[in-house]
Amino acid sequence: MAAPILQVKELAVSFQTYAGVVSAIRGVSFDLMAGETLAIVGESGSGKSVTTKTLLGLNAPNATVADSSQILFGDQDLTQLKAGAWDQVRGAKIAMVFQDPMTSLDPTMTIGQQIAEPMVKHLGKSAKAAQESALALMEGVGIPDAAEHLHDYPHQWSGGMRQRAVIAIALAAEPDILIADEPTTALDVTIQAQILNVLKEEQKKRGMAMIFITHDLGVVADVADRVAVMYAGKIVEKGLVNEIFYNPKHPYTWGLLASMPTTSTALGTLQAIPGTPPDLLHPPKGDAFANRNAYALAIDHELEPPFFNISNTHAAASWLLDSRAPAVTPPLAIQQRQAFWQEHFVQEG
Amino acid sequence: MARYILKRLLILIVTLWIVVTATFFLMQVLPGTPYNNPKLSASAIAQLNSSYGLDKPVLVQYGDYLLNLLHGDFGTSFQYQNQSVSTLIGQRLPVSAQLGLQALVVGVLVGLWFGALSARHQNQKLDGFLGVLSTLGISTPSFILAIMLLFLFGYDLGWLPVSGWGDSFSQTILPTLALAVGPAAITTRFVRSEMIDVLHSDYIQLARAKGIGEDQVIRKHAYRNSMIPILTLMGPMTANLLTGSTLVENIFSIPGIGQQFVSSIPTKDYPVIMGTTIVYALMLMVMILITDICTALVDPRVRLN
Repeated sequence: MAAPILQVKELAVSFQTYAGVVSAIRGVSFDLMAGETLAIVGESGSGKSVTTKTLLGLNAPNATVADSSQILFGDQDLTQLKAGAWDQVRGAKIAMVFQDPMTSLDPTMTIGQQIAEPMVKHLGKSAKAAQESALALMEGVGIPDAAEHLHDYPHQWSGGMRQRAVIAIALAAEPDILIADEPTTALDVTIQAQILNVLKEEQKKRGMAMIFITHDLGVVADVADRVAVMYAGKIVEKGLVNEIFYNPKHPYTWGLLASMPTTSTALGTLQAIPGTPPDLLHPPKGDAFANRNAYALAIDHELEPPFFNISNTHAAASWLLDSRAPAVTPPLAIQQRQAFWQEHFVQEG
Repeated sequence: MARYILKRLLILIVTLWIVVTATFFLMQVLPGTPYNNPKLSASAIAQLNSSYGLDKPVLVQYGDYLLNLLHGDFGTSFQYQNQSVSTLIGQRLPVSAQLGLQALVVGVLVGLWFGALSARHQNQKLDGFLGVLSTLGISTPSFILAIMLLFLFGYDLGWLPVSGWGDSFSQTILPTLALAVGPAAITTRFVRSEMIDVLHSDYIQLARAKGIGEDQVIRKHAYRNSMIPILTLMGPMTANLLTGSTLVENIFSIPGIGQQFVSSIPTKDYPVIMGTTIVYALMLMVMILITDICTALVDPRVRLN
């Protein structure tokens, strides 16, 4: 794979609130390679969305990015950008597809104009040329009879069509990186697959890198090359998609995978991870997942685990991977996955 | 659209008829007569009554009034002898309307600007300052402000004329300011809260993610969307301003209609009361209609039918 196009190093973001300082992101590092799709997975409140908003400088005014954080993109560190300079990055280099298409489009502007806007700004096109390109883009993302609908307003469209328009807006200025923040969560299941296909096709066609935020592991399996699992503002495990799905090492990843129903899941046996994520107003000592973790060791309550490398591409932050840790037996569903891993991936390698 | 407007105009006429009827009969219930002069003899009063038709039964008077109204005849003022009400209104309404329009333009423009500024600097010092300013603006009656302006700019500094109308534009500045502060303050607060809502919406976040710059985000996306509820406020405010302010007109000796409206009530100048009420009601309804049409023009989700 190519060189990283984006490097996030020790990203820490905190929010000043009336109750105190909330540490939403507590040291996140990852690389994004050109042309790949990185999925960031986690529960609500794990910091997925804050991470991506930070990449676009779109956090609320009460957010603070720690001085030690770096977001290296090209030859600049995005954490150092001033307000005006951000506008050269947003939309132009890094673009975003938002979660809810019903509220993401300006209700008083035609869809054609909304798609044309970034092209006028970043590609220096005339209003007329931008409208023509907007039409081509609309056709590209699969909006039927686009020419007739160029001057439509958002309220005239269904959610699925609006999400295609939101994607067209994100693609308008030909960005290098596309961030998709739960782009299918608000859509009907039947529409989800279509939208994922649009994203995958456009990514392939343009060779863009994509960061895909989701809590839906089914979607991850469909789109991702690599996966980062986030919990309580940290990445706890990262690896190639198959490594995460078939050879997971972190008990939190086990919990996520085990709670994913499959066609063979018996009636009334949906698995859940017990407990709730920690309060990031007062981040716990040690491993944030320890109090929900059936496999927690004594040290988990005292000291945060470092990353242990499982392969060149796979790492997890769990004390279970330390050579001194006792051997544990993962849940049955995970054992089955690991057996599949042994059978299909290890022998080939 | 044309059909809708036609329908609204028909409704407007019916409403106007109800206003006319209600005002006409309420007026009859008012105690007292138009004749305040104690020297008037009983025979003189009887003669006046018959010449104005006031000796006829109330229902007949009502019928006569409606018939005359259909011919555009508002009757003759009791107080200003031989002055028809239409002439009276025709002379005085434009004065009030000009003053009101100036105040409206100044007030709304300042309100839009301050409101947007306040919203963009939410919870910062500027927002707090403008918040205090607009609270003061809302709570200071226009006549207090008029007197303060008069004293400061007219008397103390001597920059602007203190009264009169029609000789120079400078005469209109102080009354315009006195009338504009209230609407400016109300608009500021309204725009601020609407704008804050809009600025937190998803589509503004998306607009920001386009990298078109905060100024364009505000101008192209935030203003238009926060304008929709503000238009609703605009209709009654406009009608109010254009139909004159008794107190401000009094203080600056401006021959407007506002003063006329109020003085006609204690003197029981029935035709003037009726005339000014009709003008005010008509103005209000037309402004609301215009507001609705504007809303449909600004907000594509609103369809007029």
